[in-house]
Amino acid sequence: MSDRLDERIEALTPEELEAAVRRLRDVITRGDAAAAQSCLRCGLCAETCHYYQASPSLEAHPAYKLNLVLAVFKRYFTGFGKVAPGWVGGRALDQDTIREWLDSLFGRCSLCGRCFMNCTVGINVPRFVRAGRGVLTSLDLVPPDLQSTVRMAIEKGNNMGIEPQEWRDTVEWLEEELRTETGDPAARMPLDESGARLFYTVNPREPKFFPLSLVAAASIFHAAGENWTFSSDCYDVTNYGLFSGDNEVAGAISARLFSRATGLGCDTLVLGECGHGFNAHRWESAEWLNGTDVPPMRSIIQVIANYIREGRIRLDPSRNSKPVTLHDPCNLVRLGGVIEEQRFVLRHSVSSFIEMHPNREQNYCCGGGGGQLSMSRFAKRRLEAGRIKAEQIRATGAKIVVAPCHNCIDQLTELNKEYKLGVEVRTVAELVANALVRSS
Amino acid sequence: MVASPLPPLLGMAVAAAAVFAAGALVWLVLQTFGYRRTPSGNGWKGVTYAFGRGMLPWEKESAGRHLLTLGAGALYHAGVFLALLQLLALILGVDVPQTLAPFLQIFLLVSLLCGVGLLLKRAFLPVLRALSCPDDYVANVVVDLFLLFSLLTAREGAWTNWLLGISIAFFIYVPLGKIRHCVFFFYTRVLFGLFFGKRGVLPHAAGGGER
Repeated sequence: MSDRLDERIEALTPEELEAAVRRLRDVITRGDAAAAQSCLRCGLCAETCHYYQASPSLEAHPAYKLNLVLAVFKRYFTGFGKVAPGWVGGRALDQDTIREWLDSLFGRCSLCGRCFMNCTVGINVPRFVRAGRGVLTSLDLVPPDLQSTVRMAIEKGNNMGIEPQEWRDTVEWLEEELRTETGDPAARMPLDESGARLFYTVNPREPKFFPLSLVAAASIFHAAGENWTFSSDCYDVTNYGLFSGDNEVAGAISARLFSRATGLGCDTLVLGECGHGFNAHRWESAEWLNGTDVPPMRSIIQVIANYIREGRIRLDPSRNSKPVTLHDPCNLVRLGGVIEEQRFVLRHSVSSFIEMHPNREQNYCCGGGGGQLSMSRFAKRRLEAGRIKAEQIRATGAKIVVAPCHNCIDQLTELNKEYKLGVEVRTVAELVANALVRSS
Repeated sequence: MVASPLPPLLGMAVAAAAVFAAGALVWLVLQTFGYRRTPSGNGWKGVTYAFGRGMLPWEKESAGRHLLTLGAGALYHAGVFLALLQLLALILGVDVPQTLAPFLQIFLLVSLLCGVGLLLKRAFLPVLRALSCPDDYVANVVVDLFLLFSLLTAREGAWTNWLLGISIAFFIYVPLGKIRHCVFFFYTRVLFGLFFGKRGVLPHAAGGGER
């Protein structure tokens, strides 16, 4: 733990701790309250967690993480917990509890939801972990690099702090690339096109580090004859408020995106290959924004699958001849419901597609979710927790790992080095673009 | 077991304790509605899954990996259900058919052994012990005693008053401790089904959910 966070914990006043308890009460829903009364502490969820599997310890146990938060809930909000907290495992929110929360809720959970799906009762463990993170955030106790990512998104409109001119220059340059790639001098990467059918959003790491993945998506739109646009100032699909547990900030980030998409008169907000961005905007934002108008939303994967079904693009799988396996991003698949579309797309785009096991909604997290990639203090644990994913990949014998999520791609790239997997890590759009058969 | 006349006061006390348990559980459920509402959606297929196929061991890794514990838990709960039926019959003055009595006794015995087994597992497995609080042990002991006296009463009517006594304690403890999951389990399961059903994750399509 950094000195700053240590000092902050030491300096917490009783008033701040009382406010934190009220904050916990504010983020608890009726479902959470029901779940709080349901945990049997049967302990059977242990192996569902990749952290526990990588390093079996009490602190990594999903029920332990859940009960860290439930203990405080019981202590302050249940009758027996108020009278006899020790009897029901109730616990005061004090400095020691805060320390454990910080270490376990931020450092030993990627909010992947695998324990939730496999809980004998069905308790939404990630909701409690996120609620605890939200309380820590209200106390200014977020790991600094995660907090700076959130702050950057609020202040600059994208989590990497890309200046508007830099973004416009990048798009202009990539448009030239697109024209070369497609052989069409009229090919475009439109910005702020009013009335475009699709409003496309991307992970800012693409323009920053992997600009050719933007060309891949644009090539697909071009081949499909799509009417689409980027925004010049609101194009970031990510929402790290999901990870910091700050509902107000997360809601503001989603609302800004929705407002820009509807402001341009676009029919559909297309969420780029980003697992948590999809979950945050498509599903979680409904609670943060409390009934605000939300535009129709689709993942780029769903859009591509439709192009194939409608015959708007033609693909030659032989152009991707190396064996390919697919990583299922937790936020897109288990928590998002986009499960079969990426398989449909890959079966049309590659010669050899191999499933890893388990897959779909039972997949293991790669370890990069939950903001883990933005919390360098927990990097060692993150790489250890990714061991299961590395073993899954190795067992397939694939040479290419596809992940429709840029955070997963970052983590898989690190796992590739750490565990010497010898694979390429690609997005779905990259493989589809490579398989495109262009009309002459 | 042949039902014998009950001391009226004790019978009324059991009924009152049961009414208290039911009322307190309803109150606890209603109380949760004071919390902020989650978004509504169409997840009833998910709920159907949650109470149907989703209860099968191969659908839940936690259950599938721990079949022995799952089996013990299922028998334990089934035994409690039978014991409650026997108690109801006793209160209503209905005799348990003699032909069923041996099966009832064997089932209650097995259920009791499962309960004790789960208690020992909690006490001796370090991780499970670390996760536990006094409520976990007491709830188990209260239920085990309820099963024990249900078994003894099923064998010999002389134990009836003991059963009624422990039943009062049992019903009073239901809403106070973790036994309240007898209601909240179903509530949570509905929310589980709504969550994954609304998002189109569950129930998975044919071929989906491949392990």
